[in-house]
This record gives sequence, structure tokens and C-alpha cells, in this order.
Amino acid sequence: MAITDDVLVIGGGLAGATAALAAADAAEDARIRLVTYKQSTLRHASGLIDVLGYAPGGVSDGENGQEQGQNQNQTPVADPFTALESLPESHPYQRVGVDAVREALAFFDEIAGDAYAGSHTEMNALVPTHGGTVKPTARYPVSTAEGLASDDRDTLLVGFETLPDFDAPLAAAHLEAAGAPFDARGVTLSFPGIVRDDAKVTRYAHLLDHNERVETLTGKTGAREALAATVEPHLDGESRVGFPAVLGDDHPAAVRETLSDALGADTFEVPMGPPSLPGLRLEDLLYDALESAGVRVTSGVPVVDYETAVADSTADEPATAAIDHVVVDRNGAEIPHEADQYVLATGGLVGKGVESNRERVTEGIFDCYVPHATDRYDWFVDDVFGEQPYARFGVVPDEDLRPLDADGNLEFSNLRAAGSVLGGYDYAAEKSGAGVSLATGYVAGTRAGEGCQ
Amino acid sequence: MSDAQRPIDDSVPSEQPSTGGADEDDSGNDEFEPVQVFPEAEEMDLRPGADNCYKCSTCDTNCPVAEVDDEFPGPKFQGPEQWRLKRQDDHDIDESVMKCSNCMRCDSACPSSVPLSQMHNTARAEYVEENMSKFSREYLRNRMLANYRRLAPLASMFPRTANFVMGLSVTKWLGEKTLGITSERDLPTFATETFREWWTDRGGAKVQNENKRIAYFHGCYSNYNTPEVAKALVRVYEHFGYEVMVPEQSCSGTPMFANGMLEDARRAAETNVRELAAAIEDGADVIASCSSCSMSIRQEYPELFDFEDTETVAANTWDAVEYLRVHEDLTGALENTTVDDEFDDMAYHAPCHSRNQGLDGQTIEVMDAIDGIDAHDVGDSCSGISGTYGWKEENYETSMKIGEEMFEHMDEAEAETGLTECPTCSMQMEHGTGYEIKHTLEVLEAALVSDGGGSHAETGASSSLGEAEGEGKSTETGTESD
Amino acid sequence: MAHNTAVLVLGGGSTGCGIARDLAMRGVDVTLVERGNLTDGTTGRMHGLLHSGGRYAVSDQASATECIEENEILRDIASHCVEETGGLFVQRPEDSDEYLQKKLEGCRDCGIPATVLSGREAREVEPYLAKDVSRAIQVPDGAVDPFRLCVANALDAERHGARVETHAEVIDLLREGDDIYGVEVRHDSGPGKRTHKSPGTTEEITAEYVVNATGAWAGQIGAMADLDVAVRPSKGVMTIMNVRQVDTVINRCRPKGDADIIVPHETTAILGTTDEEVADPDDYPEEQWEVDMMIDTLSELVPIIEEARTIRSFWGVRPLYEPPGTGTQDPTDITRDFFLLDHDERDGVSGMSSIVGGKFTTYRAMAEEITDHVCEKLGVSATCATAEEPLPGSEDISVLEEGMDNFGLRSPVARRSNQRLGSRAADVLETDEPNPVVCQCEGVTRAEVQDAIGQSGSDLNAVRIRTRASMGNCQGGFCCQNMATELHPRYDEETVREALDELFQERWKGERHALWGEQLSQAMLNYALHATTMNRDNDPASGATQIDYAQFDGGA
Repeated sequence: MAITDDVLVIGGGLAGATAALAAADAAEDARIRLVTYKQSTLRHASGLIDVLGYAPGGVSDGENGQEQGQNQNQTPVADPFTALESLPESHPYQRVGVDAVREALAFFDEIAGDAYAGSHTEMNALVPTHGGTVKPTARYPVSTAEGLASDDRDTLLVGFETLPDFDAPLAAAHLEAAGAPFDARGVTLSFPGIVRDDAKVTRYAHLLDHNERVETLTGKTGAREALAATVEPHLDGESRVGFPAVLGDDHPAAVRETLSDALGADTFEVPMGPPSLPGLRLEDLLYDALESAGVRVTSGVPVVDYETAVADSTADEPATAAIDHVVVDRNGAEIPHEADQYVLATGGLVGKGVESNRERVTEGIFDCYVPHATDRYDWFVDDVFGEQPYARFGVVPDEDLRPLDADGNLEFSNLRAAGSVLGGYDYAAEKSGAGVSLATGYVAGTRAGEGCQ
Repeated sequence: MSDAQRPIDDSVPSEQPSTGGADEDDSGNDEFEPVQVFPEAEEMDLRPGADNCYKCSTCDTNCPVAEVDDEFPGPKFQGPEQWRLKRQDDHDIDESVMKCSNCMRCDSACPSSVPLSQMHNTARAEYVEENMSKFSREYLRNRMLANYRRLAPLASMFPRTANFVMGLSVTKWLGEKTLGITSERDLPTFATETFREWWTDRGGAKVQNENKRIAYFHGCYSNYNTPEVAKALVRVYEHFGYEVMVPEQSCSGTPMFANGMLEDARRAAETNVRELAAAIEDGADVIASCSSCSMSIRQEYPELFDFEDTETVAANTWDAVEYLRVHEDLTGALENTTVDDEFDDMAYHAPCHSRNQGLDGQTIEVMDAIDGIDAHDVGDSCSGISGTYGWKEENYETSMKIGEEMFEHMDEAEAETGLTECPTCSMQMEHGTGYEIKHTLEVLEAALVSDGGGSHAETGASSSLGEAEGEGKSTETGTESD
Repeated sequence: MAHNTAVLVLGGGSTGCGIARDLAMRGVDVTLVERGNLTDGTTGRMHGLLHSGGRYAVSDQASATECIEENEILRDIASHCVEETGGLFVQRPEDSDEYLQKKLEGCRDCGIPATVLSGREAREVEPYLAKDVSRAIQVPDGAVDPFRLCVANALDAERHGARVETHAEVIDLLREGDDIYGVEVRHDSGPGKRTHKSPGTTEEITAEYVVNATGAWAGQIGAMADLDVAVRPSKGVMTIMNVRQVDTVINRCRPKGDADIIVPHETTAILGTTDEEVADPDDYPEEQWEVDMMIDTLSELVPIIEEARTIRSFWGVRPLYEPPGTGTQDPTDITRDFFLLDHDERDGVSGMSSIVGGKFTTYRAMAEEITDHVCEKLGVSATCATAEEPLPGSEDISVLEEGMDNFGLRSPVARRSNQRLGSRAADVLETDEPNPVVCQCEGVTRAEVQDAIGQSGSDLNAVRIRTRASMGNCQGGFCCQNMATELHPRYDEETVREALDELFQERWKGERHALWGEQLSQAMLNYALHATTMNRDNDPASGATQIDYAQFDGGA
């Protein structure tokens, strides 16, 4: 017997979770299941919800307005929604339309509640990165909110000797070179309670979450108090203090509050990763929402195959195959999963929804068409930050987000795709990864939910 | 030189069968036998496994030990990094590999399919083999914990004595001092009648059915310590008309892997694969009630051993509830059933080894089908005991720290009973919260097998009289299904 | 006329550094200039084979004999650069028995220890060898880290008073009449250690004698003084596997051919190679078919390679030479022997000799011969000691052999660090400061990176070749940034940014040739990390236009 649901979402990242939540929202009585194989790329990402930071063909610094590699050294767009209009027709944002992007963001705001900030304006925020630059984003974890680069308060950045990913003095100097409107200073300290040089970020977070007792020069105290006491002597009138993103996993708000109170200054995090604690918190938030919405989650198992149903062809429309069920592999046992509507949200090259070998690029489950040059030396350009064709690999959707084959016909009548399994956009250059996942996940999920009623 | 004239001996594979199309053979197409990533299990050169790693550290963020234990550098280091830095004859595995609890969460976390637990298991075995003194207290203790099954028969021969002696504070203190087994925990109690004794007394299967047959892999714990779980399995499966076979079996190997006793595990696995393969030959599918046992047979056996039929046994082994869910209309059967009060409000913990098999959502879904049951999932944290890990004196504190999150969530759930499918998680849940812990099969039994439920409620692990009598009743009525 | 230096060596490859060390040890005042980093030419672009001589045992027995002699010397004086892997000449069913026989006899004629193994015995040594490999000859091939060896020679030369200038490109040979008396160089960032963003300067360096050890570039140097040095540069591809599928050098036992060797190199295995003449050693095509040929052909020997991950490919250019009029068509037939061209004797232009041809394994012997020649010109009578004096790092190799110190590091990291640093390990790794791992793929700690920065300035590629940081499977995706931050505060933010960009682009260059499967996923992850998370592609600090911060969300 197949395990039967109304909507089956394949993939458990931002797009998949959003699709499942949107489906549950659109079809209240429907049974929604999300199947996810390995953990998603949410943990790789910074946890920022960017919509569009740079528009292709936007203002460039190239001499005489000439665009160098189009992708590089542009100034960020302040209003992402206006910039959306200028995107090419094939861009996933254009497929779903600007209104859908707004709705998806509102949907996310509701899910995220006070864990995220930025919904008070349509303008992008600039969040300091661990490399010392700033990144444009539409929403940001509340833990980063006090650190915005457009806020002109002077800033102390704190790094730790045992965390080579974030060099605070260098990041501070970089922020100043980037023209940030405040004085930034960085110090490198020793993190109280960390006894090995290779402690994982989760170890730092755990110490603070549980306020573990740690050894200090003045005896044993809680890790939060000890950290504040370590930083306090280095404060020189700055009203905010930035830390690498290790300030707690389960209780980040409480950790920041304790630190802020003790320091008499606001605290914020500078996103890092992978691995990324803000990403991990976002994942937790989404999975809690899935549970509340009654979405059934099956994890740790891959979808390895599918069967189509015999399609009804009518006089007007040529027959399009429909997926009858998919097959999930559980350590060799094949478990059929059946649903009315399917959403494919398996990710791109990093999430492994898009695969490649020396000859070709493929979508791994349904073998949906993925456009790519036949010569693999045309998959890249020589400048590492140039316009990289490989960054745009993915399936081609119609306006309903249903994947199309090489001839522009529907692959399946009841399959939609969302997130970075979609092609035709370069999320890294545009800073649009989260936004596209949200918007397409929202639309694919909503349509799938409506479709099964 | 005579050397050069040495015969070309062993190397040439058997000639192509002459029936094969000559065209194909001559095409120069290099049709190698499918490339085996790990060709000879004996060699265990797992460096190629590091090819899949793209350094994202998702494994590290899932590691419950790295989060609390300063000495443990996380699975990425232990797995792909350590292996990649290795040369064939390097044997100086970092000692921190012994801090790994073998929860295997890194395996299901890895977005890039690095064989992490296989790397850890192999590295641990190599460490124990090359770097750990065979006379050390640690080695002896680990060997003893790993070979629990060898001790259990002794204890269960004199269960009351064993339970009494093991409960004595002096014994526990001695355990800690001489063997490094923590005195914080109560040693498991032994049932007065093992499952296999019960099965023999009962006269074996009550249902004969050529078309629906299962071979039950009960494992050690439900045989010696919680036979009520094993009995529940038998009754539930017989309820659905299955013929239950109980083949000869050895320990699944889980505790041996975790302690780097790969040779012990190999011996046990060899017996299991042979016996289970024979049962499969007889038309049975293999069913396990313990999530670590099914994990071991399905994943670790094929990763670490290559006996004939290892793959077949792995592919035909199922978790007890999963099997019913796929092969029967389980939710349909559960509709309109009810259970006693003790089951109506439960705090469920999904064991890591269920999670690794993609079974973590299953129990709650199945429980939802029973009327009046309120089952809360207490989240995805690890219980922290990980088999024998939490029994070691040096790990006790870490084990409890890992479990802290689960304990909190269980307390918050304010349920009546704890629920899980793993015997050692169950010990930890009980130890950390005081809840009484049941197995999902016991709930199914209560819902589906009406007469079994009532009598079952009073069967404690060591209340021998009630057990025997209760059983008698159920045996008599249980034959109806024929 | 007063000269800046007695001898000026052009070229910082193995030959140039070997000559500089030899001269300096004989008490001669020597200056070495190199256009880029040490090893940037051919030395850093080879497969790292320490020849036993087996490869030449049939075709060129003189070279073979020289190889086994030098092989034994290098094991001694450069033990921290050499891994005694052993080598196999592997025979497949289609490879001729006659050739195997010749190879074996040739080895024995040249004093190369050689044993025949059956297919099964060979697979016991290397389990991933193909099932149908029929026999193998076992020889004492080894693997050598050309970077470490070259840098050790340069360091030792400096210890003996030499001046070594990298990033100093020769822009002119100074010639007066029929005498060459020096060069004009352009320093990328002023003399001394390289610092990004320091302005470039030019310098005239005069010398009593000039040694042109620029290998494939010798013709270009010669042309500056109207001398015709007809090197015939020949390119070869090398493909790097992510892990070592083999721990022994695997050669195909058949006459010359492309794609016939796998060398285990540090944490990787290198597949090689091809042999194709090119016009310009700085500009030649790097093509897909070459990479594909390595994988397809060598997986006949080690089938697992077919599906295994490669992390990059690179090309090297051999400085082949043959005397005018030889007229060999196929570059594979050109001798691997070296030639010392004394331009005085040859062209009537005094003050300079050029060295062309030759091979890495015998660099020391070549250097000795050339140094003898130069000393004769200068009237210096000191004799060569480079065959006996260990290189820095190999002075006391018992450090490596006896109980290795862990310096508080996890054991595989400690093992790799010790292997790289040899007897310098304690000096470099003993520290009271936290010493986190900076490059996780290769197990390189902060202390080792700092040591390399101390040697080479803000040039992260120079740090890379010294430490192997950023040479593992992420190809720098995760550690380039961390390596760069180690430059701060010794170097300012702008310098760090520039150094990081340069390293990151360099890593991409080779990785492009491995862009499918897992390495393509890695590339996308690296790109996402650098562009999405760090926004390095649109770094406002590097852009010309100021961001108008006030336009953006300043908080609720």
C-alpha cells in the first residue's frame, strides 16, 4: 500500500518548507507531506532573507558605465521590488510576478514572527558580513538587527582567537573602507569556556544557551557573564557590540539580552557560515511551523523513482503525463508515496537537486530538462566572479512553475518546482536565493494545495 | 631472468563467456565490472569516501557530542578529514574517535552522502586494534559492554539474583571502580522468562501462513529484558495474519561497532546474515522491533561486511511498524480503536537510529489514528545514551548533558507515559525523567489485540507470576486467528 | 667595475635554486631573481615523481643511472620533501611481455633495484589496481614535493648569504659589446618580501657572471641579448584527484605514451601526462580532451578513478632542448638530458651561460655541474657539498621517525604538519597561543601559516606552496579567507583584500578543469559562500561608487 497524501513536497529547504506551509494554508483539509533526504542547505546559508540585492544590468562601477562582467562591483539596489521589474522574462521572479513575491514575503513574516526584522520597510537593509563587507537583504534575523550598516552608531566588533572565520579588527577596517557611516573597531579575545582550538560553533552556542559554568580568572561563573566580563574592558563608548554568529542556538534572545544588559550596549551577530547558526535557527523555526500546520515530515530517505499514470488526452489538449506515485528508498526497501500534486524543491548544485557528470547536467528524480551547453568548458567563465553559466543551471518552469521539457511542453501535469532547482538566475550574484525560494515555494505550494481540492 | 618468466597467475578474470556477442567484446569499450567504491571490505580504505565531502559542516552541527564535549572535534574531522589525511599504512587514528557515541546523526545529516558512520566505525576499530592496550581496563570494560549478549544469558538464568546483585550499591560502586561503568545508572533488570523461553513454551507460531511470513529479529534486549515488547510484536503480527518465525540469532552488532570491536561484530553478523537469509529463502521478510538492530542490519552490515547475502538481508529487513504501514492498512485498522489510560497521553522520543532510517515521523502519524491518544513528539534531540556510550563512567556527564534538551521537552509535555522504540533511549528517558517508558508495539497491541491489552498492563519486567498467568490467557485466545 | 653580486641566477625553479644554494655554500656571493613565486615555472607544475630511473631504463640508460643516484641522495638530504612510496610498472594483458622483460633488464643494468610481482601481489600492494593487471615491476620510485624542495634550497641559499628576489621580472639583459654584465628587473612591489599595493620599482643588478636557468623561458631571456637559445617547450597536463587512490607510484609498463603515470602526492594523486610542443610557454591551450584522456586511460590501471573526484588540472611546460640540427619531430623523442650553453664558447658573448633541458630528479647534479663551470670561470676552488649537507627541515630526521610530537594538535594534523616541516616542526608549532586549524582539508594550522607569511610576505600563493593550505578538496573555498585574515594586522586591510582576491582567482583557474559532479557542487558552494554570504563580488570597499547608506533600512 502506498502512503497516501494530497500534496507531496520533495525537499526540505526553504523552498520545500514554504511550499508545504503554503499548501497547508491553501487547502485546510488536505494532507500535506514533506519528504526530505539529507539536511538542507539552510545550514549553509547566512539566515538572511534576501530578495534582490543587485539587478542584472544595474548601475556598475565600470568606467563610463561600461559593465565589467555585469555581475561585479555594482552598487546595491535600495528598493528590491522596483528592481524586480527589470529582470528578464525567464527569471523565476518574472514567472511568478512581483505581487507573488510580496505575498510570499508577507507569508514568511507571519511564520517568522519576531524572529525576523525588516518588514517595516520595502527598502533593503545592509547587514555586515563576516568578510567585512555589507550585504543587501530584505529581511534579517533579529539577532543582526542592531548591526545594520545604515545605523550610524559606533561599533565594537569582537572576534575570538579560536574562531578563524571571523577576524574582528580586519572586518572593522573593511567596514570603514566600505564607507560605512560609523566608526568601527575590532578586538580579538579569548572565549571563556572554550578549551580546545577546534571547538565547533555549536559548542560556543551551547555554552551560552545553557549558561554553563566556566572557569575564569575570578572563579567560576556563567558563560554569558564571563563573556560579558571579557568584552567589557574593551568597550570605549561604542553603543553596540557585534559578535560572530555563535550567540546561542535554542535561546538566542536570552543570550543577547544578558550580554546587552551586562555591557550596557546593544549586541548583534555577524552572520557566518557554513555552518551557520542563524541558518540553523531558521530551519528550526520552519520545522516548528510545519509541525503546527500538521504537515507530515518524512526525513532521511531519498525519492529514487516515480511512476506516471495513464494520461487522459482530450481533443484540445495533447496528453501530459501525471505522476501517479514516487518511490522512496529506505535502506533498500522501496516505499511508494502517492499524492495528487507534487512539488519538487530538491535544490540546485549544492542541494543536489541538480547533478552533473562530465557529459551532462540533469535533474535527479524526474529527469526534467535542464538547459546546458554540450561542451562542459562552456559551463564556466574564467573570472571566478564573472557571469557563470553553471550558477544558472536548473529546470525551466512555466508560469504555474511546472517544469517544461526541451520543446517547451509540460513535463508532468501535477509537478511544480520551487527554489534553486529552478534555473535561469544566479542567486549568488543577485543576492536573491532566499527570495526566489520563498516566492516560488509559496506559489508552487499554494497552487498544489488549490489543485488537490 | 627467471623472475620475468613467472606465470601470469591469478590476475586475468575468467574468460568472457563465448556466447557473448563478439562485436561487443571487441568494441574496446571498457566495460569494467561495476566500480565498487569499497572493493574489499578487508582493506577498508575509505579515503575515496572523502570525495563526497564539500566541507559544509552540516555533520558537525548535528553532532550531539561536539556540542557538549570539549574533547570531541566533530564528525567532519573524524570522518572525511581524518581519512583524507591518511596514508594506507598510517594507523595513528586520533584518540578522540572513542568519544563518538555512534548515534549516526551525521549520516542522515550529510547533504553530500559522505559515509560518515562507516568511516567512524572503521577508524574506531583501527584505533582499538592498533592503539588501545588489550589489557587496559577500558578495553575490558568496552569488550564487556559490547558483548552484553554473552553476559545476559547468565543473568537471566538467575534473574532475581542478578537483579538483586546488580542493584546493590556495592556492586555498582565496584562496577565503577573496577570497570568504569557509571554507578549513576540502574543496571537493566532481567526478565524472569526470556522471550525465547516464552516462545518455546507457547509452542511457537499460532498462525501458519505461507503467503505472509516474517522472521522476527528480536535482538538481545527484548529477549532478556523486555520480553513484553517481543510478545507484543508477535501478537500484533498474528493479528494481521502473519506467520511469525523466530530464527536463531546473535547480537545485531550495534554495541560492538560503537566500541570498535569489529571482529566481534563480524562474528555476530555472520550468524545473523546466514540465519536471516535462510528465513528470507523461506519466504519471510525480516522484522526488527529495536531501531538500532534494524539500523545495523540495513546499513552497517552492507557498509562493513561482505558475506554472501548481506545485501539481500539488508534489503529485506524492516522496522516493525514501518512494515505494517506499507503492507497493511494500518491506519485503517487503528481507526475507532481505543487504549487504556496509560497510553492516552504520551511523550514520544524518536531514537537517532530511527531518524537515520527516515522513521522519525512515523510513530506520531500512527498514534494519531488511534482514538483519544495524544502523542507529543519531544523534538529531534538525541537522548544522549547511545547504547553503551552513556554507561561509561567517563561519558556519564556528557551523556546527561546531551539528554538535557530531551528531558526538558519531556517534562514540558506533561504526558502520562514515555514512548520510544530503542531500549537504551528508553533507559535514558526513564533515568532522566522518571517517566515509565513503553514501546510503540505495546500501544499497537493494546489497540488491536483486545484481550492482550488488559493482561498486558500488569506485566512488569520482573513480576514473574503475573507475566506467566497473563500469558496463559492470551495464548488460549490467540489461536482464533487461524 | 664593481658588481652588485658575483653571480646572478635567473629563474627560481629547482635548477636556479639548486645553483644558488650550491654557489652560496661554496662561498660565492649570489643573487637569484624570479619573475613570480619560486616554482612558478615548470618546477611547480610537475607530477612530483622522484624517478627511480625505471622510466628511462629502456630508452635512455645514462639518464636512468643518474636518476637512481640522485634519487638516493635526495632521500637523504631532503627527507622531509620525499615520500618513499615505491613504484610499480604495471602490465595489462594487452601490454607486451617483451617490453616488460626489457624494462626489467634495463633496470638491472642501471643499478635500479627491481622485482617482478604477480598480478595478485601487485594488488596486495595496491588494492585498487585493475583486476586484470597481469604483472608489475616494483622499483624505488618516490614522490617529492617540488615546492618544499625548491623553497628549502632557496632558504638554505639565503642562510649562506644569498639574496633571493621573487616577483622580480627580468626586463632586460645588460650587454656591453660582447659581454653580459647583469640584468634590469622590475620588482612587483619593491625589493624584499612582496607586499601588495607597494609600488613597483626597477633595479639594475650587475654581476660578474649570469646564469640563465629560466628553463622553458631561456629563449626569451636569450633574445634580450640577441642570443638564440632554441628551447622547444612541450606542455603536459596533470589532473589532481581529491584523494590518494594509490600510495605507490603507478606507471604503465609500455613504451612511451600519454597518460601513463599516477603519482601519490601529499593528500592527492596526480595523473599524468601528455607531451605536446607549444610555441609560447606562457600562452597555450588547456583543453578538455587532455583531462578526459588522463581519466579514461588511467582508469584502465586503477578503475576507481573513472568515478572519482578530481579537484583541478594544471599544465606544465618542459624546457626541452636539442642541439641545432638534430631535428627530432616528436617531442617525446627529444632527450631529457640537459645542456649547458656557454655563450662565450657558443656565440662569442661572454658573461653568461644558459641551462636547458634536464629533469627535476637530477636538479642537484645539474646544479653541481653548472656551479663547477661557473666557479671555474670565477676562479673559485671550493668543492660541492650539496650531496651531503641536508636541506633545512631535513637536518635531524629522527624527529620524524621517533615519537612524533603532537604540539597539542589532533594526531593526523600533527602527522601532516610534522611531515611538511620536518626538523623545523618544533620551531614552528610550539606556541602558547591558540593554534586553530586554518585549512581543514590539508590540516594546516595558524602557526604554520604565520611561519610561511614570515618567509614570503603578503603573497598568499607563496604561503600556499609552503604549507599546502587551500590545496585540498574545497580548493580554498573555505580557507582562502582565513589565510588572508592571518595577514592582518601585519598588513593593512587593502593589502589583505588584494592578496585574498589574487589567491581566490588562482584557485579557480585550476578548478575550472574539474567542474562536474562533486567539484561542481563544491564550486557552487564556494561561489555562494564568497558572493552570497560575504558579498565579495560586489564589495563596496572595492567599488568606485560610494553606497548611499541613508537610502537603506536603518532599523525599525
